Amino acid sequence: MDTKDSLIFEKGNKKAQTNFVPKLDIECDELEEIIPKKFIRDEIQIPDIPEVEIVRHYVKLSKINYGLDSGIYPLGSCTMKYNPKINEHIARLAEFSQIHPLQEENEGALQLIHNISNMLGEITGMDGFTLQPAAGAHGELVGLLIMKKFFETKGVVKNKIIVPDSAHGTNPASAKMAGFSIIELQSNDYGEVPLDHLEFAMKQGDVAGIMLTNPNTLGVFDRQIKDITRIVHKYGGLCYYDGANLNPMLGICRPRDMGFDIVHLNLHKTFSTPHGGGGPGSGPVGVTNELIPFLPIPCIISAENGIVCSHDKFHSIGRIKAFWGNFGIILRAYVYILSLGAEGLKRVGQIAVLNANYLKSQLQKKYYLPYNRVCQHEFVLSDKDMPNEITTEDIAKRILDYGFYAPTIYFPLIVNGALMIEPTETESKNSLDNFVEVMEKIYYEALNNPEKLKNAPLNTPIGRLDAVNAARNPILHD
Amino acid sequence: MDFISHDDDAITEMLKVIGVDKIEDLFKDIPKDLIINGLNLPEGLSEPDVLKKLKELGKKNTIYANSFLGAGCYFHYIPTLVDFVVSRSEFYTSYTPYQAEASQGYLQAIYEYQSVISRLTQMDVANASMYDGSTALAEAAIMASIITRKNQIILLEGVHPEYIEVVNTYCWGQNITLKIVPLDKVEDELNQEIAAVLFQSPNFFGNIEDVSVLVKKITDKAPNCLLIQCMTDPTCLGILKPPGETGVDIFVAEGQSFGINPSFGGPGLGIFATKEKFLRKIPGRLVGKTKEINGEREGFLLTLQAREQHIRREKASSNICTNQALCSLSALIYLVSLGKTGLTKIATQNFQKAHYVKKKIKEIPGYEILNIKPTYNEFIVKCPDVDSLIQECKKLNLLPPLPLSKYYPEMKDVALVCVTESNSRESIEKFIKALELANNKGGRN
Repeated sequence: MDTKDSLIFEKGNKKAQTNFVPKLDIECDELEEIIPKKFIRDEIQIPDIPEVEIVRHYVKLSKINYGLDSGIYPLGSCTMKYNPKINEHIARLAEFSQIHPLQEENEGALQLIHNISNMLGEITGMDGFTLQPAAGAHGELVGLLIMKKFFETKGVVKNKIIVPDSAHGTNPASAKMAGFSIIELQSNDYGEVPLDHLEFAMKQGDVAGIMLTNPNTLGVFDRQIKDITRIVHKYGGLCYYDGANLNPMLGICRPRDMGFDIVHLNLHKTFSTPHGGGGPGSGPVGVTNELIPFLPIPCIISAENGIVCSHDKFHSIGRIKAFWGNFGIILRAYVYILSLGAEGLKRVGQIAVLNANYLKSQLQKKYYLPYNRVCQHEFVLSDKDMPNEITTEDIAKRILDYGFYAPTIYFPLIVNGALMIEPTETESKNSLDNFVEVMEKIYYEALNNPEKLKNAPLNTPIGRLDAVNAARNPILHD
Repeated sequence: MDFISHDDDAITEMLKVIGVDKIEDLFKDIPKDLIINGLNLPEGLSEPDVLKKLKELGKKNTIYANSFLGAGCYFHYIPTLVDFVVSRSEFYTSYTPYQAEASQGYLQAIYEYQSVISRLTQMDVANASMYDGSTALAEAAIMASIITRKNQIILLEGVHPEYIEVVNTYCWGQNITLKIVPLDKVEDELNQEIAAVLFQSPNFFGNIEDVSVLVKKITDKAPNCLLIQCMTDPTCLGILKPPGETGVDIFVAEGQSFGINPSFGGPGLGIFATKEKFLRKIPGRLVGKTKEINGEREGFLLTLQAREQHIRREKASSNICTNQALCSLSALIYLVSLGKTGLTKIATQNFQKAHYVKKKIKEIPGYEILNIKPTYNEFIVKCPDVDSLIQECKKLNLLPPLPLSKYYPEMKDVALVCVTESNSRESIEKFIKALELANNKGGRN
């Protein structure tokens, strides 16, 4: 691809474009009479481009972009499940898309937020939810600020958080944003939290709690989960559940029952809202009764006079985003939960796990599986034992050549050369078999024709890019 | 309904390959007493039934013919092609473009977004977006604290009250001290320990500040302190001097005005731009241009990832992972659809129509425009009876302006009025009528 003349800014001409400017139908003063000249800018360097050129440019770009509707998207820990089209339709209805966050007649919107809070409460077992956080990482920050406030209010100094080495990178980063320092806990040979190390850390007395995802990033359910939460509680700590991996647990078991006090969910993972190329997402946070007073404001609660909004700041951590959260995303998740219902959600958990185990069974025939256990939503392979020193990156790039998206690579960090695969429940058996077939082909290529992999991708619009130079000499705009 | 493809045969065959008898066997690691006996939720609905249910719920939200409400969320006309482009499922069903070779389309679009924001703001670099204006402002404050290694922030009155609350929460999280001071007192508060001064222009009350003068005043006294400007409706940049020219260090804005539906206030878009020298401290994702390793073709990829949480973990400059990519795509399409002519004309109309309404209001007895400084599309009005104005607006199918007492209980009978290009003559005439009626004490009941 040659970018020299392909950027949108190269299009257009001297013809002024005014298609989107309404006719001025009142007699107005000239601009110079309204605002001093010193405030007025020079011409904006954005060209005037005819509509048809814009449309063709972006349709062309869309054709060189792989989406979930293009095929399997096996990114581990991202839960790339099908995004139902009805969600998109409803989100665009004027009754939802054209309402102002500060208008008074908003009963439908508040009721929706209240309803989904209750549903998420049932799904996770938590007592209260906030729908304010705009993304998973934002939810983590909120959850940790709740912990911070909880201990501040009690007058107890606890400024450390335990994060296992298998955790998502956002966990330690969020903990730091809430003012905590991090104790990293090494997973044991089963990919689980070692209880003796946990107890040792908790005994120090300055640990606020633990952040955990279960099933973890190896796709493994921690069998000692109840002991983990019990130990943390024993020393006065709180347990935080990173809900990035909740999908396989839907309708099967609940974070609250495992002993968690705070949970964040990713509506763009578990509840089918589109990932949008990296957002917008939504990261609701659920807590136990004891922690409800610390939730961010505004809180939507059920009162005698209906659903109302509370701005009571008493113990709250305060506001974490303007207005009400990513309502347009919350709405899509609500539609999804209503569509699936109790049985449908349980089916999601079951089939997500079935698909992952099926894929694991097929792929471990050729690829090294460092943790050979029943998996839940995902599993991790590695490039250990690959012939001819073929790396994970080579495999990933070759997958692109066969017209699929690659798994998450080099994560989790506890597996060298990790290939983290999460098929989700919405992939058909046929789709999984096609992926297996490609992975087997790639294995034989690694054996017989390794150069092909080292030079991959060969069939994509562009070859492997020079990331080192990109970081050394950043070019971030035209 | 569900979105699962397998029939029973497929499931049986898959279980056989795995080597278990039934799906339940795959959950054997979960302690038995944790397994629940179903969820207490209603039965699933078919597509027509779920649509019907949501339409019923939607009826409880009132849609007005026209709006005079802004305060951080605006009704601007959105070109049809914006939704056309963001509805391409190759874009909206994709994820963060980790695999550059299969994501060139989106990566180029984000690169174009960064470029269009640089062009509009005249700032050196823009990131690939933040959650919204309020969190972008909070992250800017934290970034300033990291750059200057100081932990005191000054925020000038006139920032959106909800943004102030968000900045306050973030600062508390990181033990940064936040002090809110009036603009004319800022010099008294400056010292060498201040990381940044945060301000909004046009501010929450509509005032346009002389940013160049403000920047000079502050940097003269505290040369190392960073200047952070935010705005809630950046369509004003069609006319107003861009932050890159007035000398601010970090510029943030709520980008909802750029082609994003109000949707009850979210999702919006956090625009974030800064100077080249702060590039490696910027939070969030960045897309860069580079060449092939074994070739000459140019392409795009996520770059400078060493700043980010998935590499740096607790040493990252922010925890942001998912951002607002699809909203930044909307903003890009909006900005290139309008082009320089459209952007200038839209901003001009906002100035002109709001000014027209201001002039009309001045003619109505009992009302007073409280802004002394120039304003863009928002201004504040002292009313004889703001509650009555709200009722009259609703009767005429107009979304009423914001009573400032919502945020400032002491500001009784003051309304924050917003007039944009989408207010036609007819709606403006109705609004004037509502103002007149609300002044007629006989009309109150």
